[in-house]
Order: sequence, then C-alpha cells, then structure tokens
Amino acid sequence: MSAQRDADSAMPGFYAAQGIRKSYGAIQVLKGISLDLKPGRMVTIMGENGAGKSTLFKILAGQVPPTGGTLRLAGAPVALASPSAAHARGIYLVPQEPALLPELSVAETMFVGALPTRGGPLGRRVDWAAMRARARAALDALELPIDVDRPARTLSIAQQQQVECAKALLRGCRIILFDEPTSPLTSHEVEHLFSIMRRLKADGCTLSFISHRMDEVLEISDEIAVLRDGVLVDVVARPSFDRARLLSRMVGRPLKAVPRRAASNARDEVALEVRGLSDGLRFADVGFSLRRGEVLGLAGLVGAGRTEIAETVFGVRPAAAGEVRLGGAVVTGLDCHAMIRRGLVYVPEDRARHGAVLPMTITENVTSGLLDRVRRRAGLLSARDEARISAAAVRDFRVRCAGLDQPLRELSGGNQQKVVFAKWMTTGPRVAILDEPTRGVDVGAKEDIYEMIDAMARDGMALLVISSESEELVRLCDRILSIYEGRVVAELSGADISPAAVARSYLTAAAPSGGVAA
Amino acid sequence: MSAAAARPAADPRPGWRDRRELVLVAVTAASAGAVGIVNPGFLTVENLRFVALNSVVLSIVALGQTLVIAMRGIDLSVAPLMGLSAMVCGLLAQTHGLPLWGAVGVALAIGLALGTLNGVLVAALNIPPIITTLGTYSLFGGLTFLYSDGTQVDQVPPAYAAFGNAGPLGLPVPTPVLVLLLVTAACWFALGHSRFGRAVLAVGNNAAAAYNAGLRVAVIRIQVYALSGLLACLGGLVFVCYTGSATVTTGTGDHVELQSIAVALVGGTLIAGGRANVLGTVLASLFLSTVLTALVFLQVPPIWYSAGEGLMILVAVRGGTRRAAGRA
Repeated sequence: MSAQRDADSAMPGFYAAQGIRKSYGAIQVLKGISLDLKPGRMVTIMGENGAGKSTLFKILAGQVPPTGGTLRLAGAPVALASPSAAHARGIYLVPQEPALLPELSVAETMFVGALPTRGGPLGRRVDWAAMRARARAALDALELPIDVDRPARTLSIAQQQQVECAKALLRGCRIILFDEPTSPLTSHEVEHLFSIMRRLKADGCTLSFISHRMDEVLEISDEIAVLRDGVLVDVVARPSFDRARLLSRMVGRPLKAVPRRAASNARDEVALEVRGLSDGLRFADVGFSLRRGEVLGLAGLVGAGRTEIAETVFGVRPAAAGEVRLGGAVVTGLDCHAMIRRGLVYVPEDRARHGAVLPMTITENVTSGLLDRVRRRAGLLSARDEARISAAAVRDFRVRCAGLDQPLRELSGGNQQKVVFAKWMTTGPRVAILDEPTRGVDVGAKEDIYEMIDAMARDGMALLVISSESEELVRLCDRILSIYEGRVVAELSGADISPAAVARSYLTAAAPSGGVAA
Repeated sequence: MSAAAARPAADPRPGWRDRRELVLVAVTAASAGAVGIVNPGFLTVENLRFVALNSVVLSIVALGQTLVIAMRGIDLSVAPLMGLSAMVCGLLAQTHGLPLWGAVGVALAIGLALGTLNGVLVAALNIPPIITTLGTYSLFGGLTFLYSDGTQVDQVPPAYAAFGNAGPLGLPVPTPVLVLLLVTAACWFALGHSRFGRAVLAVGNNAAAAYNAGLRVAVIRIQVYALSGLLACLGGLVFVCYTGSATVTTGTGDHVELQSIAVALVGGTLIAGGRANVLGTVLASLFLSTVLTALVFLQVPPIWYSAGEGLMILVAVRGGTRRAAGRA
C-alpha cells in the first residue's frame, strides 16, 4: 500500500501537501493538511466558512508561504516563492473572479509576463502574429470561440475563467486549481466549465476545485476532501460518496456545550418589517419581521448576500423591489441619515473602515454619532456634557481603558468594538443591525458583547445579527434565517436551533436534492 | 475569420476606433486657422516654427509622464527636475565652460539618479506616487535653490544655443525637434512593441495580476520613474539651450507638472493606467502650445492661461472616465 503510494507519488503531476500549516499571528488557519492531488483526477475541497480552503489553495499556488509542512511535486520537495515560481513548476490557480488586464487584448492577457518576441531592426520586439496564433490555438484546443483581439474587459466572468484555463495550458501548467469557480456562473456556464474540466482530466491534468454546491461536487469529483477548522477531516473516493456523511463531516464539531440564550424577550410589537426586498443583483425576495426585544440571526456562507441585505435595509444600497417598514411606517428608499433619525442603526463588519476612528479618543468616538444632541455653549460643544455621555457609555458597555481621553487605537479589538457599539447605542435606536459583531474580538470580550446584546434586547431593542459563526447565532438569537445565494432558504426557532442545524440549513440548500433532515 | 464574425458589432478592437490623433490634428489646425483669421500674424512661418519649437520641451517631459501614467502612477516632480537640470547644466556652461556633451551627461545622470529615487520611494517603500513626488517636488526645487545660490542662467555658450535653435549639419530642422522625434519613436516602440513597455501597461492595468503573471512589478516601477526623471532632465537641457536662460522657477513656474499631465491625458492616455498614446501626447503638446500662443495673439490676459490648462485636464479626465464607464 505504502510502496504503491511511493511509486505513484513519483509520477509527474503528482502534487502532495504534507503537514501543511498556516498561522496568521496567533490564529491557526491550517493545522497540518496532508492531501494528494493526482494526474487525471479531480479532487474537490469542501468545507464551511473559515475552514481554510482558500488558504490551502493559495499555499499550493505559491501565493502565500506556509508556516510549516512540505509541498512535494513528483516526489521531490518544492518551495514556491511566488505565483510565477508555481507557474514555472506547472501549477496554476484559476481565481474565482480572474484578475483582468482590462485594456489589453485577450491574446496579450494570456501571454502577459511571457510575451513571445522576435528579432527586428530595432532589437527584440513583441511578435504579435505568433502571440495571436498561439492564443487562438490554445482557445481552439478547448473549443472556446473567443476572439483573441477583443479587449479583456469585454469578457464575461465565465469567459474569463475559460481564458484562464487556456492560459494555464499555454504556460505548460498541468496542475490546475480552481478556487470556487462556479458560484458566479449560471448553470449553463457551469456545464461548459465542467466539460473543459473533463477534457483536461482526460488529458491527464491534475485538477482540484473548491465548491459548496453538493450536486456539482458529486458530478465532477473523483475524490472529495472535507476541511473543517483547518483540519482535513475526511477524504472519500468515488464511488463511496455519501451526501449525508459529507454534510455531517462539514458541520460536525468537537463536543462543546454551546450555551443558548436565556428566555426570549420578544414582545408583540413589530419594530422592523421587510417584505419582498430585492436589490436586483445579490439577493431577491427577502422578507421577515422583527419584533421589539427580539434577536433575529442571519446565517449563511460568506458572500451569500447577508451584508447586502443589511445595507439595503439601512438605506446605503438601493432596493430594486420590496418594502421596509420601521415601526409601521414605510421607510424604503430613505437614506441612512433618515434611518438613524428614525431609530435604525447598522454596525458594519469592518470596524476600522466604517465604524471607528482609531486615532480619536474614546469620548470623541462615542459622541461622534450624536453631536447634535450634546449641549452647546455659544455654538461650541460642551466638553463636560461630552465627558458625561462618554463616561456613562464606558461604564455601561464595560470598556476597559486607561481613561476617556485614550485614543481608540490603543484599545484591544474587543474594547474598540464596545466603543463602536456605545457610539451607536447612545443615539437611542429602536432597531439595530449588527454585522459580524465579534469579528477580531478576543474570547473574553466576546462574552461581554453577548451580554450587552442580551441587555439591549431586554430593554426592548429589536436586533438583527449577522454572523458566520453558528455558535454565536445559537448563543444570541431567538430566531435564525438561513440565507443561501441571496434567498431565505430556512427559518429556525426555539428548540430547533443548534450549531449543527444552523450550518446544515444553508449547506443543505447548497445540496437541494440532499434530503438531509436536521 | 469565423471568430471575428461571431464578435458582437459593438465590440471595439483595441485602439482601432480610437482616432484621438486625427482629432487632435484637426482641432489644432482649426484653432490655428481661426486665430489666423483674427490675426494673420499667427500664421507666419516664423510664428508656426515658434509654436512647434515651443512644444518640444513639454513633449519630451510629457512622454515621461505618459509612461508613468500608463503604469497608473503620477510624477509631479518632473517640473522641478526639469528646472534643476536646466539650472545645473546652464550654470556649469556659463561659469565653467562645460562642453555640450558634458552637459548631456550631467542632465541624464541627474535625471536617472533622482528619477530612480522617486521609483524606489514608490516601489520599495510603498509610498503612494502622488505623495512621493509631491515630496520630491519640494526636495528637487530646494536643490535648485541651493545650487543656484541666488544666481541665474542668462547666457549659454554658442554651442548650446546652436543645439537649441539650429539644425545639425545644416539641416533645416532644429535639433530639439529631431531629439523629440527620436524620443517619440523610442517611446512608441517601447510601449507598443517591447516586452518592457507591455509590462508597463500590464502593471497599469492591474498590478496584482501583473505580479501574479511573473512580472517584477517593483523593478518596472523604478525603471519607469527613472525614465520619467531622465526625460524631464533632457527637457530641461533642451530648454536651457533653446531659451538661453534658466531661473529657480524654470519648470515649476509654468506648472510643467500639470501641463505634462494634461497633455498626456488629452492625448489619450488613461488616468487609471493601462492604456497610453505616445503620438497623442506629442500632438496634445502641440495643441497646448498653439492655444497658449494664440491667447497671446488674442491679447487674453496671462492670468487666464493656467485656468485654461486646468479646464483641459478636467475635460480630458472626464472624457476618459466616460469611455471607461461606457464600455463596462
């Protein structure tokens, strides 16, 4: 068995990861991944958000150096210093949305970095004729009817991926990785991509791809590898694929008691009602109602459209159809300033960019959202009033700091997030949308934030929480809506809520004929 | 052929429909003709020769700027660099009798060294080019002040004046025009047909993608800023030979940095990078020179000149972005 593997692993095109580890600071993203990619085989990587799939691909393609472990190509260890080093070794990563060179022709984008040249009276010059002929031949070989003289900016995403495949072959790359290629494609385009993949496979290329869509995975894969929390938990080879087993492998977690929130504080009065909301692009026909004191969660894969839904409700992204009611009044189409005045706030996920002003003091940050309410003296803000509000916020939100005049930059991520919350909550909102409220927050501060959210709900605030951590939603929410590719695919409430059920609710949507009961 | 037939009709071939050069020639000729009707003195051979010669220095500097903008950068320091080169070469000639070939060497050395400094600051230290070259704008201007020590260039040796105004070997075409033709041809060949130039455009299109494709983006950036510095200093040398004078405000006083950006953009180079038009830059310089001279002939107060240049930039950038948006 082992001898057989050794013999195989020396084959050209046999690409193996051995004990690959990757850490960003203290966070371990990959915890020792060993995986074999073989010529003529398609190995699919599946896994939840943050399982480490993309990181693994970036390491395999030389875009990111691993913290530990070895890559072996045809049995010999290789170190990949850059993507071009990977190309030179025959390894090519097709990104989900290929990086375009919009002003250049299709032919030139295929050859960029390796333009063919010929001698001329003025020295070596680019051989446009040879370049176009070779580009056309490479596209023809995959039966892709794309004009090589078109500017690259006129290609659709599907065509860009097709061109990338031809480009990989042109560069002599026969180990081709596809990072979630199908999610921006229509089903017809996916079929076309799969026909290209099958052709490459028949030709002996070594293939691997990432997908969330179970049907696709079962159709195209020879082996399926499941990643969970940076660990390779399962590798199954055709024909022993089993939907239920794959799903449970993806969502199954080490036994850890996940606390549920205490009894619901939901009251009868509806605070926020959304009906048939679409932005015409990323999500469609989203509807829910949120009562005072209720905590409603939005679960889903990264990129499912949850942030876009929140931004549309808040009025920073235009709605194409549908209605938003705040306390019974229609507010669709109002801008975010009007929303804030009417008692709706949105705490975005990217704190540093949208929520907090890091060089400014705690007081300045806390009061920046309600400067028109601070008492003024001769047109100037009253420092004493500002300090009073800020001191109350620091006390209520348990911000750990040296003083009110400390710059926000000096606080930990968790305490920064508390200040951001304090800023919004001092405006006295009736409805708050919290997008990834504990991203980049340490464990201790996390629990503080959870208790703050509980307290806000007890006070009658209606809360919509977006989180990619199932445990967090379980801990916080009375009800959870599961979003998949811009649509509400499931609703969980009461005793049905558990981390596995939450993850399963959208992963099952990715496998429509899966029939896996919660 | 079948692929061409399958292409949607609205799909432009790169560069094919862009007749920017023809438009510029037509507009320049029309402007000159219109001014000639009001003031026939404008259309004399002597004046037209002045208009053309007057655009040469800006063209040379703006070709460097074109390379930088094509790479999605910007170089504000071309103006003081041009001034520094004019001042150093002019003073060395005026007070120490530096021969012309020595001045060429000095100008190119200054340009290469300080242009490389810009490139290293942008590429290696990762400082945004607008900040970097705003900083070096002051730095290089300061060097000119220090070096001039309160003096200025008011006469250059005959060899310099001949280089700036007459043709070599008795040719009827002045040397600066020949220098410009040479530089233009080199830039055209480089951007259109050399690996280096195509790499510059690739970086301007998408630096991350260019890096992933194996291009040494940092090296290319440094080379392009070095070339821009080189051309700015060559422009400064031509300027001091042509006019016989240089002061501490040569270059910066005329806002050559803005003029060079304006003509590059009017010429069809995209402010967002990735596409350049070498011939367009030269023709746009000629257009600007025509307009500025025409304003003199029409007795428009000089205070309006820079307002006109500003308007040109806005129109050029707006036109470029509209086309960029329209083809998404």
